[in-house]
Amino acid sequence: MKIPRNIIPLTFAFGMFWGSGAMADIKIGITISATGSGAAIGIPAKNTVALLPPTIAGQPVQYIVLDDASDATRAVSNARKLITVEHVDALIGSSIGPTTFPLVDIAAETKTPLIVMNPATGLVEPMDEKRKWVFKILPHDTLLAKGIAEHMAKNGVKTVAFIGFNDAFGENWYAAAVKTLNERGIKIIAKESFTRTDTSVSGQILKIVAAKPDAVWVGASGTPAVLPQKALKERGYKGQIYHTSGVASMDFIRVGGKFVEGAILPAGPIIAASELPDSNPIKKLALDYIQRYEALNKIPYAAFGPHLVDSVHLISDAVPAALNVAKPGTPEFRAALRDGLESAKSVVLINGILSMSPTNHSGYDDRARVMVRVENGAFKLIR
Amino acid sequence: MDATTLLLLGQDSLISGSIYALLAVTMVMVFSVTRVLFIPQGEFVTYGALTLAALEAGRVPGTAWLLLGVGVVAAVVALFRLRHALSLTTAIRIIITDIGLPAVMLLIVQWVAPMKLGLIPEMILTLALVVPLGPFVYRIAFQPLAESSILVLLIVAVGVHMGMTGLGLVFFGPEGYQTSAFSETVFDLGIMTVSAQSLWVVATTAALLIALYIFFERTVSGKTLRAAAISRRGARLVGISTDRTGYLAFTLTAMIGAVSGLMIGSLTTIYFDSGFIIGLKGFVAAILGGLNSYPLAAAAALLVGTVESFSSYSASAFKEVIVFTIIIPVLLWRSLFSPPAEHHE
Amino acid sequence: MNPKHPGVVAVILILVILTIPLAPIPDYWISLLNNIGLFSLVAVGLVLLTGVGGMTSFGQAAFVGFGAYTTAVLSTTYGISPWLTLPIALVLTAAAALAIGSITVRLSGHYLPLGTMAWGLAFFYLFGNLEFLGAHDGINGIPPLRIGHHDLFDGRAFFPVVWLVVLAAMFLTTNLLHTRLGRAIRALRSGTIANEAFGIDTAQVKLIVFVYAAVLAGLSGWLYAHLQRSINPTAFGINIGIEYLLMAVVGGAGHVFGAVLGAGIVTILKDQLQDILPKLIGGQGSYETIVFGFMLVVILQSARNGLWPLIINAFPAGPEKLPVPSDDSLAQRAMPKSGAVPVLDVRGICKSFGGLVAVNDVTFLVGAKEIVGLIGPNGAGKSTTFNLVTGLLRATGGEVLFRGSRIDAMPARDIAALGIARTFQHVELAPEMSVLENVAIGAHIRGSAGLLAGMLRLDRAEEKCLLGEAARQLQRVGLGEYMHRPAGSLALGQLRILEIARALALDPALLLLDEPAAGLRHLEKRELAALLNKLRAEGMSILLVEHDVEFVMGLTDHLVVLDFGKLIAKGVPAEIRKNPIVLEAYLGGVV
Repeated sequence: MKIPRNIIPLTFAFGMFWGSGAMADIKIGITISATGSGAAIGIPAKNTVALLPPTIAGQPVQYIVLDDASDATRAVSNARKLITVEHVDALIGSSIGPTTFPLVDIAAETKTPLIVMNPATGLVEPMDEKRKWVFKILPHDTLLAKGIAEHMAKNGVKTVAFIGFNDAFGENWYAAAVKTLNERGIKIIAKESFTRTDTSVSGQILKIVAAKPDAVWVGASGTPAVLPQKALKERGYKGQIYHTSGVASMDFIRVGGKFVEGAILPAGPIIAASELPDSNPIKKLALDYIQRYEALNKIPYAAFGPHLVDSVHLISDAVPAALNVAKPGTPEFRAALRDGLESAKSVVLINGILSMSPTNHSGYDDRARVMVRVENGAFKLIR
Repeated sequence: MDATTLLLLGQDSLISGSIYALLAVTMVMVFSVTRVLFIPQGEFVTYGALTLAALEAGRVPGTAWLLLGVGVVAAVVALFRLRHALSLTTAIRIIITDIGLPAVMLLIVQWVAPMKLGLIPEMILTLALVVPLGPFVYRIAFQPLAESSILVLLIVAVGVHMGMTGLGLVFFGPEGYQTSAFSETVFDLGIMTVSAQSLWVVATTAALLIALYIFFERTVSGKTLRAAAISRRGARLVGISTDRTGYLAFTLTAMIGAVSGLMIGSLTTIYFDSGFIIGLKGFVAAILGGLNSYPLAAAAALLVGTVESFSSYSASAFKEVIVFTIIIPVLLWRSLFSPPAEHHE
Repeated sequence: MNPKHPGVVAVILILVILTIPLAPIPDYWISLLNNIGLFSLVAVGLVLLTGVGGMTSFGQAAFVGFGAYTTAVLSTTYGISPWLTLPIALVLTAAAALAIGSITVRLSGHYLPLGTMAWGLAFFYLFGNLEFLGAHDGINGIPPLRIGHHDLFDGRAFFPVVWLVVLAAMFLTTNLLHTRLGRAIRALRSGTIANEAFGIDTAQVKLIVFVYAAVLAGLSGWLYAHLQRSINPTAFGINIGIEYLLMAVVGGAGHVFGAVLGAGIVTILKDQLQDILPKLIGGQGSYETIVFGFMLVVILQSARNGLWPLIINAFPAGPEKLPVPSDDSLAQRAMPKSGAVPVLDVRGICKSFGGLVAVNDVTFLVGAKEIVGLIGPNGAGKSTTFNLVTGLLRATGGEVLFRGSRIDAMPARDIAALGIARTFQHVELAPEMSVLENVAIGAHIRGSAGLLAGMLRLDRAEEKCLLGEAARQLQRVGLGEYMHRPAGSLALGQLRILEIARALALDPALLLLDEPAAGLRHLEKRELAALLNKLRAEGMSILLVEHDVEFVMGLTDHLVVLDFGKLIAKGVPAEIRKNPIVLEAYLGGVV
């Protein structure tokens, strides 16, 4: 006996069904952390949803967006809902490490292509049967960290102190820092942690200043990253302060004001889009995104939004070939989509230029990174 | 650890300790007067800081709308409860005070916010928006349950905390804000520097604590609060309205919370969810002080500030673990030396 | 809940659980139901802890974390089979709960929840900073459960495991509540004094409940780890702990089924709210947090006992079966013989509170088969003397001997075990429990069944004796017809008699009655006097505080008169009646 799949949920509840009513041909499920501790990263992505293309290769697309509240259990729940109730053809998510890692198992189990929006290298390496289904739209954190390490090496930095979030974000960046700095013989002489909502980091900063490092690396995202920088300046620290790509938003400068002047960070090319040479194909994409985002949301864009546009862009690149194999909504289509994603070659995205291979599911090169310095309240390209 | 470090950490302890002291003292007050363990105290800190930040940016803060919203809810609840014995004048009075005044406040804020009047007027405006939330919260959430057990009141307090944090995200967004300081001056004392702003914070705290002391010792309102704290029934017998003492306690707590927010917002970045942890540290202090002594609570708050500073220096990753487990030995001590047979909850 | 055929209900439920995975229910709903099952386990523990035992915990999520992390580490790092890690996970969780519980449960109500909040936060950061727990990224690649050669990979296969465990937990917990220990747990909320006076170690009972709830949480964590197969600290934070409490409160904190209802409502609401609310309101925000916050406030204001009682009240239950006083009754105590050592020998006891001397050098005897009256004006120290004799207060001087041995340094519950039972001036009963169950509390120390026996229903024979004894005592004092009413529904005079029945259920050699006749009508007083005379004839000794002079004079063998904490006269009633000091101090020359 075949019961229509909608009947049982209907008896449970209301509101199971989304939006338009018309059955779209391609479905893309998105789970992001729009609330909770990852909200600062998730909300720009959520604000980007309206900018996604309504059709891909002539087929209408339906986007289904769920919030996982920065909670791993919810992220898993969302993924299952998107895959088994909505039958999405591809899954995109999530915003922070703890909500992204659990998706890997589900994607592999249900054979659904998953595009992750987190820089953690461990999401796609080492490549195995599970990670085969996972594609990372961000460059590896080590690729970004390399920019910092190179800049340090070039400027004669020998010793570094690291202060990062007391969470997955901070830990992943610390690991990336250790890796890239060791390769260049730069020593990490102090490691401190702080919490996003801390009101003071004086203790940690005192310890760092006492260790007299040549430079300090702050592994934090968004406005909370201001706190250590401010404390360092107040303590009269004169060395260079580096940040991660996590602070690439105007909020950082708004809160930091004069204290964050001179900070150096790696970021996606969009951060200095207007300074890019016109020959760079990324420039047009990035400026276009910024203009549309700010026109729609009336607030400055943040660097976490483009990941979503890029994810869909990458999918749309693989769709035409997959459509030749099977219809959307079928396992065959998903498998073909996965194959298509894996054979992406030189796709121009806001984040960089991406080429996938069976062994590399985050195939960016150094063009995916620019180094910028905060100057007069803006991010300026370091050439 | 050298002398300079010690001094600097001491300074840091004193600043955060004084904020915790204000919160701890008001928590003890609210608990003894209404038996509510007021977890959402920290939200008043965030609301204070973020409301001021919004005004400084020339925006209308969400709290102005919230004030009107809770006013409407409070009025509806009041009218519903009095529905059988409602006179026209009472109804009009309720509507004017609960809806009219917040609506006027909203209009004023909408008018003056874009003018960016400067720090002092904006601070006054912030207090006018945030402080009335205190008595409204008491009326809506706690007054109907005033005679329930401490545990029920505690769970309600957690409910209010969840609601207020959620609304905080709606009003202020996920990113942090910092407000401008009274003074940018920095004194160089040779071995260390002291910012004028941090002196302001410590001085304001001391002034508030002294003002509270005078209030409790010298004024009739303060004495009614003390009477209600000793015995609710006794206070009622001598004609003190415990509803009124409840309002008073919640007004005071909202005021001190908001003032703490104004102070701390200029020292550090405040987020919509910063309040919970700040408030809980005040709580840790209140518990260390035994929940019944103001001086002990204030002293314990300085201790919490000190433990926090020094553990952030020596083991930053485990700072929260250390701060929140210092109550364990105190609880253990109380558990061993308090009489085993305690009476009803 | 007492269904007529629990066996049939259980079989039906098991069949339902086994068939659901076969039904064409979307995977997503299966996984949602799995989550509800996992949350229910924690909520069942909270029902026992908070709803029944009156202790609130915001830190249950940390115990879930204990269970989950234990099995995750053991099964990934050491490759131990998940089934073998189960007992280890439970024992570790229990040990952690025992350590934390022994610090906090002895404290008055509100310290526990605040303590739980603090350790909930502390453990979150601890989990996130320990390298061997995978730090903030947690542990991935946890192996699935395996039955035979079958890996329980997907939610559908896992479903029966989760729900059979939930069903078992509900069954065992319901059993537990209707046992000797269960009554002690349920009586916790009404204060500790009466329980201690009837031989119940309340701190121990609280600790048992606390550990029990933690073990259920740990079990949920073990299941969670093998269902999700990846864990990290975000699933065990303080917010989640608050949500567990929300589930228990919404469903009905006093009801095992309420836990499942609450877990279901909160989980489904959470799932649906995030779909609906943004469409209604739009923009950014954590709307379900707001909704949950207000839901907590509104439910506590309008339906304090949660939603389950509202449902259950729609289906009124039939009359309960009366337990018949059983023949194979409990062992009786040998009553003291007349003429041997005095039953109670109070030698110069003193008690001062700070500077106030409440009892000062009081000496008197109660012989076997005697009724002694303790009289005096208000504030003379009579109730304090009672509390000193029964060990609820510790004397600051003097000695108390019961049947020749010192008892003044013993805790109340040990004194009760020797055979001293009492009633209270201010009634100390559990109003929500039935009259019969309140009396059965009196017989607590005459039974021995513990946690396991109660959960597995191995205590039925003893239970029958205990309840039978309680019923017998109720009939003896004339309250037999009220047996199944909640104690709170009785009149004050009846409650005093109920307290006597409870005291009798202890099978005491010495009975201490604090104003038993207050609130009784004339006829009832005569019946009470007849009862006390009969008890004396059976060999019991009675010490009595009473204001009704006629009642006391007619009944007692001796009188002891106190004034301002001092003994002012002793003697037979006729002498006391004429004693000028007594007349001056107490009777004011009226008689």
